[in-house]
Amino acid sequence: MIIPLTTTKIGEQVRVSCLNCTSEDTCRLQELGCVEGATGTVVSNQKNIILQVGECRLAITHPLAMNILVEPVSKKK
Amino acid sequence: MNNQTLNIQKDLLRQPSTIALVGNPNTGKSTIFNALTGLRQKIANYPGITVERKMGTTIINGVLHKVIDLPGAYSLNHKKADERITYETLIGSFDHEEKPDMLLMVVDASNLERNLFLASQVMDLQIPMLMVLTMSDIADERGIQIQSQQLSDTWGVPVISINARTKQCDTQIKQALIEQGVATPKPFQWKPSTPLRQAVERLDKEWLSKHTQLPERARPIEALRLLAEGSLEDSFYQYSEEGKAKKLIEELQNFLEDQGENPTAAEVVQRYRFIGDSSESSVTKEVREQQTWTDRLDNVLTHRVAGPVTFILVLLIMFQSIFSWATPFMDMIDMLFIELGAFVGNQLPAGLLNSLLVDGVIAGLGGVVIFLPQIIFLFLFIYFLEGTGYMARAAFVMDGFMTKVGLHGRSVVPLMSGFACAIPGIMATRTIENWRDRLITIMVLPFMACSARLPVYAVMIAAFVPDNRVIGFLTLQGVVFFGLYLFGILMAVGSAAVMKRIFPTGKPTPFLMELPPYKWPNVSSVVIQSLERGKIFVTEAGKIIVAISIVLWFLASFPTYDPTGSDLAAVDANEQMSEQMLSTLQLNQSYAGTFGQWIEPAIEPLGFDWKIGIGLLTSFAAREVMVGTLNTIYSIEETEEQLGLIERLRSEKDPETGLPKYTLATALSLMIFFAIAMQCMSTLAIVKRETNSWKWPLVMFGYMTVLAYFSAWITYEWANAFLLG
Ligand SMILES: Nc1nc2c(ncn2[C@@H]2O[C@H](COP(=O)(O)OP(=O)(O)OP(=O)(O)O)[C@@H](O)[C@H]2O)c(=O)[nH]1
Ligand SMILES: [Mg+2]
Repeated sequence: MIIPLTTTKIGEQVRVSCLNCTSEDTCRLQELGCVEGATGTVVSNQKNIILQVGECRLAITHPLAMNILVEPVSKKK
Repeated sequence: MNNQTLNIQKDLLRQPSTIALVGNPNTGKSTIFNALTGLRQKIANYPGITVERKMGTTIINGVLHKVIDLPGAYSLNHKKADERITYETLIGSFDHEEKPDMLLMVVDASNLERNLFLASQVMDLQIPMLMVLTMSDIADERGIQIQSQQLSDTWGVPVISINARTKQCDTQIKQALIEQGVATPKPFQWKPSTPLRQAVERLDKEWLSKHTQLPERARPIEALRLLAEGSLEDSFYQYSEEGKAKKLIEELQNFLEDQGENPTAAEVVQRYRFIGDSSESSVTKEVREQQTWTDRLDNVLTHRVAGPVTFILVLLIMFQSIFSWATPFMDMIDMLFIELGAFVGNQLPAGLLNSLLVDGVIAGLGGVVIFLPQIIFLFLFIYFLEGTGYMARAAFVMDGFMTKVGLHGRSVVPLMSGFACAIPGIMATRTIENWRDRLITIMVLPFMACSARLPVYAVMIAAFVPDNRVIGFLTLQGVVFFGLYLFGILMAVGSAAVMKRIFPTGKPTPFLMELPPYKWPNVSSVVIQSLERGKIFVTEAGKIIVAISIVLWFLASFPTYDPTGSDLAAVDANEQMSEQMLSTLQLNQSYAGTFGQWIEPAIEPLGFDWKIGIGLLTSFAAREVMVGTLNTIYSIEETEEQLGLIERLRSEKDPETGLPKYTLATALSLMIFFAIAMQCMSTLAIVKRETNSWKWPLVMFGYMTVLAYFSAWITYEWANAFLLG
């Protein structure tokens, strides 16, 4: 199931599956570690999103987050 | 992973060389730079503090080396003005400036993989380097362990691990450079796929090597960038035969797609894959599922409602601190200068020199130095805040609002620095990606009430606004003071909203920023940096003020008045001409007085007399000079008792009507004028440099001056009609 990042819940683990934005924004996301296949945790979702990818906490505004398509990952214990 | 023998070079350090600090933003480059060179580059917990190249020197084993501090970058794709500086320095395209002979590749150990992305790009440039892992303390805290030896084997460069905030940091790095040396990394260690490598080679051979001036080692990196972005736009090179290049790039992108690669992501994904694989052998992390301090604070500070509310509270506390906490210190300085003036006045024989020193220099200087405590408090506050990591959150929560008014979340930090001084604020706009956002931020930034306006506000408020209590601890003076700051902010926001409509809209750049973990600011460095700024304020303002005070003293004291003729006749024959009247007449017919009276009609509608007029003119050199100028003028004009500037302003009478000359209306009009007008040469010069044309500083000067004049006029008329009955 692939959904936009904006529809995820706090604490949810997701895998980035597609960056659907301009090539410029894609580049900016990628160099910050938000690449296709990377997994992250949604730290906050109040219209704007905070996504933790690895050790890096990314603040992403709503318009950009809508274009980040992710796949929820079930937590492994 | 692949073990390789390091290509160590130790003899590089025998001769003077240039060492550059490269790394992601906010990784401790400037901290290391300061430790190595003893200089005081600004350090703060916000990605994008350093925005220009800074040079220093350090001695290693008796040899003097140059050290360059560079702006942080996430990649070599040079999207932003600050990142370009880093990229150009690395590939050596600053023609007249030093090319780095070796690098300190600064890598944040607590965020290794993301940092290694840039590192792997930089390694492709094949410059000898030492990899410096910083934030080792934070990594420890989080249970991250890095095997330096493994890392070094993987990447083929020596690695050391340090905490850059400790005292031993510089000796550790020097020791490592001596003992481990530096090594030249091999290119393409990240093992790009064959199609990608072929595409890069073709673009290099068929295009970059023929039609660009790029040095050989930089071409693969540039080729990768062009392949990913697929356009030549936004490139700071003049490409000849652009059409051909575009065709070639398109062809290569199609080739990659045919081979099953996504051209935009290929490089990044492959680099990250290699980094991820290699970290498995060199990094171990304990999993800890507990909420950190950063999590808890962020729950509040980035909250949709609580976030902006906190930001406004923070601003209020800042204004309150500079308004009230600084007062005792200011009183002390005031006393000191009065004593000093009296002391010097008594030591020297009465006469020209005495008057020049006491009335000109000491009075002028004292009028401004008194504001030192407020300025230091302001800087303390801003530096403290930036050191905690809060500013990135402020930028994030304010982005929605800022975007609505034509600015950007990234404008928040430059605008905040504008409270201290517009110049570092304008420089800080280099971190804004979008040119239009950046230009609008620059164009409205001088509205933020900078510290140079403080003296004018403070004097006018103290002289003319009654000290009544409004509610609680708030006094009317305090309210006016806050009001002026708020007014500046509203002017900035309003003008930005207007410019948003005028300037052509391009593609917006949505806000995206790394939020650094909260840290307790390094208190000693916050204090030292604030004192440093205070010192700069005194020396810079001091130089201008001493010069202007001397010139002004001369212009206001000559030609000397000769009490004969008609003036004498005007005086009642019985009365001795008093000292006081003499000095007034002297001042009125001096060069300054004559000139001032000539321009008076132009500023009369605003409620200003010629003395303020002279102050307005001198304050174009720097705003705070206004107060120094009034001080000098009033010291020349003597009164019966020794009065401070504030009493002098209050007691100034209109010679015809005998009513007080300056009123609350004058004070309000003057403050509004100062809040809006563009009276700062240095700001205009910086705007010219940052926008690369005279157009924008001229536009800025024009619209702000016109706006200031009419606003002050309306204020004066309004205050006369409604406030003074
Ligand atoms: N705990 C810890 N903090 C550090 C270390 N090195 C730097 N810092 C802090 O990290 C923050 C960033 O340091 P800077 O030296 O300004 O980083 P920079 O790389 O120059 O940043 P930019 O100029 O924005 O690229 C500051 O708050 C420093 O006090 C370290 O080794 N350990
Ligand atoms: Mg720095």
